[in-house]
Amino acid sequence: MTKLEAVIQPSKFEDVKDALLEIGVEGMTVIEVRGHGRQKGHTEFYRGREYTVDVLPKVKIEAVLPDRLVDSAIQAITNAARTGKIGDGKIFLSRIDDAIRIRNDERGETAL
Amino acid sequence: MSSPTTDYTLRAYYRQEFERLRGEFEANGSGEASVRNRTAVVDKLALQLWEQYAFTHASSGFALAALGGFGRRALFPYSDVDLLFLAENEALRGNMKEPVRSICQEMWDIGLRVSPTTRTLDDCARFDQDNVEFTISLLDCRFLTGDEALFKRLREKVLPQLVARESDLLVQRLAEVTRTRHLRFANTTFHLEPNLKDGPGGLRDSHVSQWLGAIAALDPGRKRPESLSLQHDSEGKELLDAIEFLSATRCYLHYRAKRDENVISWEAQDELAAKGIATKSGTISSAEWMRLYFRHARANHRNTNQLLEQVPGDRSSLYRSFLRWRSRVSNEEFSVVDGRVYLQQAGGARDPFVVLRLFTFMARHGVALSLETERRIKNASRALTDAMPQDARLWEHLRELLALPNAAEALRVMHSLNLLTRAIPEFETIDSLVLRDLYHRYTVDEHSFLAIEVLHRLKNNDVEWLQPFGELLSELERPELLFLALLLHDTGKGLAGTDHVHNSLQLAAAAVERMGLPQDDEQTVCFLIATHLEMSSTLRRRDIYDPETVRELAGKVGTTERLKMLTLLTLADIKSVNPEALTPWKAENLWRLYAGTANYFDRSVDEERFHAEVCTEQVERVAALLPKRRSQLLKFLDGLPQRYLMSHSPDQVILHFEMASQLRKEPVQLGVRRVSGQHELTVVTADRAGLFSTLAGILYGWGMDITKASAFSNRGGVIVDSFYFKDRFRTLELNPPERERFKKSVVEILMHEAPLDPLLESRLKADTKPAKLKVETKLRYDDESSPSSTLLEVITQDRPGLLYTISSTLANENCSIEVALIDTEGAVAHDVFYLTRDRMKLTREQQRATEWALTTELSDSLPSNW
Repeated sequence: MTKLEAVIQPSKFEDVKDALLEIGVEGMTVIEVRGHGRQKGHTEFYRGREYTVDVLPKVKIEAVLPDRLVDSAIQAITNAARTGKIGDGKIFLSRIDDAIRIRNDERGETAL
Repeated sequence: MSSPTTDYTLRAYYRQEFERLRGEFEANGSGEASVRNRTAVVDKLALQLWEQYAFTHASSGFALAALGGFGRRALFPYSDVDLLFLAENEALRGNMKEPVRSICQEMWDIGLRVSPTTRTLDDCARFDQDNVEFTISLLDCRFLTGDEALFKRLREKVLPQLVARESDLLVQRLAEVTRTRHLRFANTTFHLEPNLKDGPGGLRDSHVSQWLGAIAALDPGRKRPESLSLQHDSEGKELLDAIEFLSATRCYLHYRAKRDENVISWEAQDELAAKGIATKSGTISSAEWMRLYFRHARANHRNTNQLLEQVPGDRSSLYRSFLRWRSRVSNEEFSVVDGRVYLQQAGGARDPFVVLRLFTFMARHGVALSLETERRIKNASRALTDAMPQDARLWEHLRELLALPNAAEALRVMHSLNLLTRAIPEFETIDSLVLRDLYHRYTVDEHSFLAIEVLHRLKNNDVEWLQPFGELLSELERPELLFLALLLHDTGKGLAGTDHVHNSLQLAAAAVERMGLPQDDEQTVCFLIATHLEMSSTLRRRDIYDPETVRELAGKVGTTERLKMLTLLTLADIKSVNPEALTPWKAENLWRLYAGTANYFDRSVDEERFHAEVCTEQVERVAALLPKRRSQLLKFLDGLPQRYLMSHSPDQVILHFEMASQLRKEPVQLGVRRVSGQHELTVVTADRAGLFSTLAGILYGWGMDITKASAFSNRGGVIVDSFYFKDRFRTLELNPPERERFKKSVVEILMHEAPLDPLLESRLKADTKPAKLKVETKLRYDDESSPSSTLLEVITQDRPGLLYTISSTLANENCSIEVALIDTEGAVAHDVFYLTRDRMKLTREQQRATEWALTTELSDSLPSNW
């Protein structure tokens, strides 16, 4: 099993969610986050007040997937979230040892 | 009812009786009978067990009593059974340990959820502030068996003494616990899946009413609370009906879930409606059933609130002073006593205009309706219903009410008395309407009230991330239009079809037309309703930092004022979906989208100019009004910024065109009109150096306070300058001939037939009033936003003659003002100028020189006492 964490533009969340559902990703956790990578901040003015926008709004999606779905999930996310501009986001993958369904103690991939 | 005998176990007996009671409930649907009968069954079991385990141990000095719902003879199918084992003293309590354990064990085995407590008389006499629930539960205590004389000592001596001694504290703590409980449900009855026990208006509220009554009865010094529940007329019956409705529903929920379930889930709502539980007419729709529920719960909630209003809680003397202060707001129509409002003339309840003023009074002062006034209005409901205005006379009251700080609560009361739907029949579509989705937590009408409340609370909120929105609200010119839009924005949800925005728009359009709103206002309200999902959708689906997203939104919204209203509407709409819906993250994104679009409005004027060869829909609308002079009109519009078209109605554009057409005869064309308590001066003339600053100087010389201004010019060099100003000394209002003298003065000075300086000198001597707030001056240049001008943004302290100071300084620096956008918010002036020098952008050196000149002038022009 693999844990997939994707940090994407908020405006791409609906498309990414739909794309993941389509390839059979049934569950995900969605978190409203702020951050930046290479896309550093900038300064904005509103009515004479200066706003430093050093961290930008992003959406983080977390999902633990059976290994067979990982490649198609990556493909689905990149297709749906890519604009080609700086700030499109990143995907991180990590290995997961086990999963346990609290309701009935199912373990491993069946618990996903 | 059979009796438990030795033929079968107590457990079997209880099961048999439980099934019998369930059958009876299914047959007759009576909640009251069901809970009374279960109480009788458990009574028998308790007596049997007492005889079995305790009788031999304690013939005196020990008693068994029922507490809570068991004590009230209102034991719901799966409710806990609260038992009090009362011992005369500590020694006896020790002796009874084993029998108590056995009795409780047996009851658990039978299938009863027992909640036992063993206390001595001395324990019961003590008031424990941290366990007020125990003392309150004693108010329901009922003798079951054992030493009756001992129980009587508790009931007739210990309890009355305790209540008499601690009644203030007891009542305060009860009120506090109740308020905290209500707060858990956001203080509203109108949840989509309500909790009929603990939610506001639930059964617990009727217990609170009973307890307050019981405390008053036990404490001779305490005034009996004024309560609907103590009335033996139709109002008292209304509450009894509510209790029966809630009881029957709770019984159903318990039997259905086979546990102590008190939430009326969507699935349960469908079943309750299909089975006609607690209805008199059998099967009804889920929506109708929920309306019945909310009607009963609302009556119960209002009664409890009336009682709680009479309990000042453990609040400080400051609060009591506040109540006394509120009593000083009484006037010739309404009096306020202890925070509740009464009619001075009883007959006023039959006059819809008095009643509308009463709600406005409540919205202004945040006072609750007294029981007496509520009763009078209910009694006069037929007369009120017939005479309630729905036209411009209604809007006259409503516009005032909506903008007042406690508008939402006043509207809720108006709605609970069926007067809001009478005044605005379109609102009836969403009366207590449950729409099932995963996000909304409240009925549609409550969501609308809550949205209004959310905005009013912005004014005094201390949540940092909401503060910019509070400032935005205070800047609105016509907040009542936004509040009206919020009231009506979801009315379409009550109609068939999937497009609720379209349906709401249809309903709202009919309502605002009937209320006779001026055309501009009508369009603003309809615009807000038609686009109320626009910003939410942009936040979800678009990159808010993409200039194209901002440009598109700006194109749809049109003006900064509308953008402010739509931003606030979006915020309120999200926040009133459920308490967690508006996160700081969402609010920040909304603010950034607002700020980006507002900046775009200020910085894109040059970019977005009208070209005669590309007619927009907006231009076509204007042109349709003058089909025979289309080409002349297009020539007049050519080169004017889109912003000009967005910020003026077609009628105003036509008027300016007509003025421009007259320039050959009269080279200065003027228009003066009153708009929303201010005056507007429009000047159409040929452009010339220093024109804008001369106009600003004339207005200052006349003592006018400029709050907004704009200056636009077309390709042919015709300028349209508009100034909104406050007539500080009411010169034009009080002296009608002065109006003509004012216009003559403007024309003469612009035509160089009269000098400006004497007018300015007389004014400079007069203005010495000190400022209340200090604002630091900030100047910022922007060379990026416009292809042909340098933008200068000026933020500074507003003061008399400010615009003249700035514009004359710019003129002295040989800067041409191509476009000016002038705004004032309280003490802060926010002006944006599009500047050129010799038809070019300003060089860095020119910018520095102009900045130095402006900084010096703005510092020198502040009166010495500012």
